[in-house]
Amino acid sequence: MIKFEQVSKTYPGGQQALRKVDFHVEKGEMAFLTGHSGAGKSTLLKLISIMERPTVGRVLINGHNLSSIKRREIAYIRRDIGMIFQSHQLLMDKTVFDNVSLPLVIEGHTRKNIAKRVDAALEMVGLRDKAKNLPITLSGGEQQRVGIARAVVNRPPLLLADEPTGNLDPKLSMEIIRLFEDFNQAGVSVFIATHDLGLIARMKYRTLTLKNGQMITDGLDEQPNQGLYV
Amino acid sequence: MSLLFKGRAQGAETIKIGVFQLLIMFFTDHLRQAVNSLGELWRSPFASLMTIGVLGFSITLPSTLYVLVKNTEQISQQWEQASEISLFLRTGVTDASAQQLLTRLRLWPEVAEVVYINPAEGLKEFQALSGLGDALNYLETNPLPGVVLVVPTVKYSSPTSAGILLNKLRKEREVEIGKLDIEWLERLYALIGIAKDLVTLLAVLLFFAVVLIIGNTIRLNILSKRDEIVVMKLVGATDAFIQRPFLYTGFWYGFLGGIMAWVTVLIILLWVDYSMQDFMQKYQVSFDLTVMDLSTLIVMLSVSVSLGIAGSLLSVQRHVKDIEPR
Repeated sequence: MIKFEQVSKTYPGGQQALRKVDFHVEKGEMAFLTGHSGAGKSTLLKLISIMERPTVGRVLINGHNLSSIKRREIAYIRRDIGMIFQSHQLLMDKTVFDNVSLPLVIEGHTRKNIAKRVDAALEMVGLRDKAKNLPITLSGGEQQRVGIARAVVNRPPLLLADEPTGNLDPKLSMEIIRLFEDFNQAGVSVFIATHDLGLIARMKYRTLTLKNGQMITDGLDEQPNQGLYV
Repeated sequence: MSLLFKGRAQGAETIKIGVFQLLIMFFTDHLRQAVNSLGELWRSPFASLMTIGVLGFSITLPSTLYVLVKNTEQISQQWEQASEISLFLRTGVTDASAQQLLTRLRLWPEVAEVVYINPAEGLKEFQALSGLGDALNYLETNPLPGVVLVVPTVKYSSPTSAGILLNKLRKEREVEIGKLDIEWLERLYALIGIAKDLVTLLAVLLFFAVVLIIGNTIRLNILSKRDEIVVMKLVGATDAFIQRPFLYTGFWYGFLGGIMAWVTVLIILLWVDYSMQDFMQKYQVSFDLTVMDLSTLIVMLSVSVSLGIAGSLLSVQRHVKDIEPR
């Protein structure tokens, strides 16, 4: 589903964010990406959502090389990727319903269809009764779930999450991860960047670890406390 | 259609809908966005009014001047005597043959009116006006020729066509000399021409200013919505989709500015009308400000709406593209 082939990214000014990163997340797989802040997690995710372009190497989604995607096609690529952010990226002056429906409005669905799908997405994240609220009146965990509902409302085959549990306590974090597991079981590929090692330790999922822009582990992280983060 | 995933439908293709429904959806979507943009303006009435005011007044000035020039043109057409042609007949032309000439001239399509002044009448008039009085009685014979005054129709009273008519009249057998007091009329037309050029120049400059002002206002709008635009781009909105509400904002600025200009011009003209009537009566010319009709409203609205959209397009194309999620 996501394939990196010898990908390097150097920012203008010479800072090297990624060095020869090579990995492949299969279709229907759920995987974690960890590493220090500054290890290159965000850069890696930005290469997938084409917020950045690689300096060297190829990034492929579902076998399609992203370097052949033109600027005006990027919007259509993002419709295939559900993205979840640590900062939620919600529109604070719009209701929960309006926030979740945004991807569908952009794609030009009918009103009836939008109402139906938004309802289903909010049901999945347990916020059906908050549809008319403004995000500002919700807790951090609830806001994150609004973000998740928005990411899945148009049923993308791929979910990307950047620190989705960033500001949440362990219990709430676990609830969020369970949500991702539900989507994964429905056939969606899920790729989550997080530095919350405790969270990963409680689950048996493939974990990719970045250090200084290099991929140092790729596989089941059975002993996460190996002193990598001293 | 998805670019990456074959067979994954995006958007409206997911459920089958007919062309007709798509068309209806297209219009309702646009209508909704237009109303939303109007609502945005309504929510910040002071700022909106300032922009609309700039646009309105910028269109008011050239429009008012245009109406005045147009009216002056109409007035000048009313001064038919300006291109009155005097034909001095040859000596020896009898009253009877002069009358024959008159009947012939009356048939010409260019001629509105002909008046014959025979030598005796002419002498009497000359005596009264010249102040020479009795001195003229010492003349043995009347030296004045018969005169025919020809008033061309409105269509032929412009300097050039009156000139052509004059040349035609000179070829008549009975006519010795033809004269047309054309000079001051030519000057008036030249002045009107200059005024027209100036109005056009002024309008072009003001329109440029308006486009830039609207462009700048929309630019500020875009920048204040930066976060929203970033979010929209993250969930897959195209530039065109993001631009649309701003284009509608430009449209509304233009539309409301146009209406404002129309009302302002109307008020100005009503105000000016009274003093104009007074002034014009001294010249025995009727003056009607009838130019502010529906078609002027339509012209003014389309000009201001295009200016609004042009300004907004100018800034939308630059700035929406520049905002990218980081």
